[in-house]
Amino acid sequence: MTDPDVHTLTGPYVLDALPEDERVRFEAHLTECTFCTTEVTELRQAAVKLATQVSTPPPPGLKANVMAAIEDVRQLPPQVPAAGSTPKAQRFTRRSVLTLAAAALAVAAAGGVAVDQYQDRSAAERANQQMAAVLAQPDARTVHGTVEGGGQATVVLSTKADKSVVVLRDLPKLPKDHTWQLWMMDPTNKATSIGLSTGDTTQVVNGSTTGMATFGLTIEPDGGSRTPTLPAAALVPLT
Amino acid sequence: MRSDGDLLALTATGDTAAFSALYDRVAPWVFGLVRRILRNPAQSEEVTQEVMIDVWRTATRYDANRGSAHSWILTIAHRRAVDRVRSEQASADRTDLAGARSVEVDFDQVADTVSTRLEAEQVRRCLGSLSELQRESIELAYYNGYTYPEVAQQLGAKLPTIKARMRDGLIRLRDCLGTTEGQRS
Repeated sequence: MTDPDVHTLTGPYVLDALPEDERVRFEAHLTECTFCTTEVTELRQAAVKLATQVSTPPPPGLKANVMAAIEDVRQLPPQVPAAGSTPKAQRFTRRSVLTLAAAALAVAAAGGVAVDQYQDRSAAERANQQMAAVLAQPDARTVHGTVEGGGQATVVLSTKADKSVVVLRDLPKLPKDHTWQLWMMDPTNKATSIGLSTGDTTQVVNGSTTGMATFGLTIEPDGGSRTPTLPAAALVPLT
Repeated sequence: MRSDGDLLALTATGDTAAFSALYDRVAPWVFGLVRRILRNPAQSEEVTQEVMIDVWRTATRYDANRGSAHSWILTIAHRRAVDRVRSEQASADRTDLAGARSVEVDFDQVADTVSTRLEAEQVRRCLGSLSELQRESIELAYYNGYTYPEVAQQLGAKLPTIKARMRDGLIRLRDCLGTTEGQRS
């Protein structure tokens, strides 16, 4: 199961043709995707030309109404950039982080994932920024796999940025003194460990994807192993 | 002659004379678009008025780096009109409306100015260069306020196809029109 590329949504977005929930998600994505923002600006410039086809003089009385109405309407104050403004990724408000989390996870999991699975706010922000950074790549894509015994593993990856983010959720309980271990495997199934996980909550792990063909998840003794213990709990092809 | 962008910048300083000039310039585009989407004349007037008041209220937030003044105003107008359609659809029977609307554009209503006519002619020519599915997808969304799932339903096409046709149709339109930033700003 692969998600449609989020970047193709620029077309329907510019035409105001996204249903409400998708629009909210896409706008969250836009805050992180410079490529999409540029395309939206360009396509919008083209789309509004469609209005030339239907230009119609308004009824004569309308202008007087508008001019009278604005007498009573206060103009918004200009938006002032925050002093010592920080890069975009650090300026997230709580709300935008949650929106972004919802967006990223919805893209990642192609279904409802409760954002409240995040228990630690700073961890959530870190996770969101990592996911957003990968999702912002023009070649970003997601792959999913089910985990033996229950739960899901989702990998969001960008070949261009040589980055991947792994989202694990609803994993089964581990045997005592054991840990989840995450691997990237090349086409010959040579595995490189990319980290350990307790699997308690949604977790995000960063990993390089160069030359890798498969994501693997295994159960290992505490502290992890040098090579994966088979059979793996999940194997997710990256293509 | 002052550009739309200049007039909008002056409007942002509270200059009602500039806003009045801006109104004369853009109101036919706004009203025409809103009317095309909503059809109902009384509602169209109401929404046009809302849009123009919104332009006055939020002029200070216009960012020239994100597109021309013209584009900014028509974006507000399109979204407002579409919002009205959607909120009404929530309670109305959708299918009746779908049948009653046509994709055809009323060319005879085009405002009577030479530059508008030339521009409209160019847009019409460029629309003609799109594939049928690209053109229909874009027109149903832009002029009728349909969501892409509604467009897909209407045209009997798959959702990813419609999303892609909207995007590549707009890209083709952009290239054909040679749309560049700042022409009107």
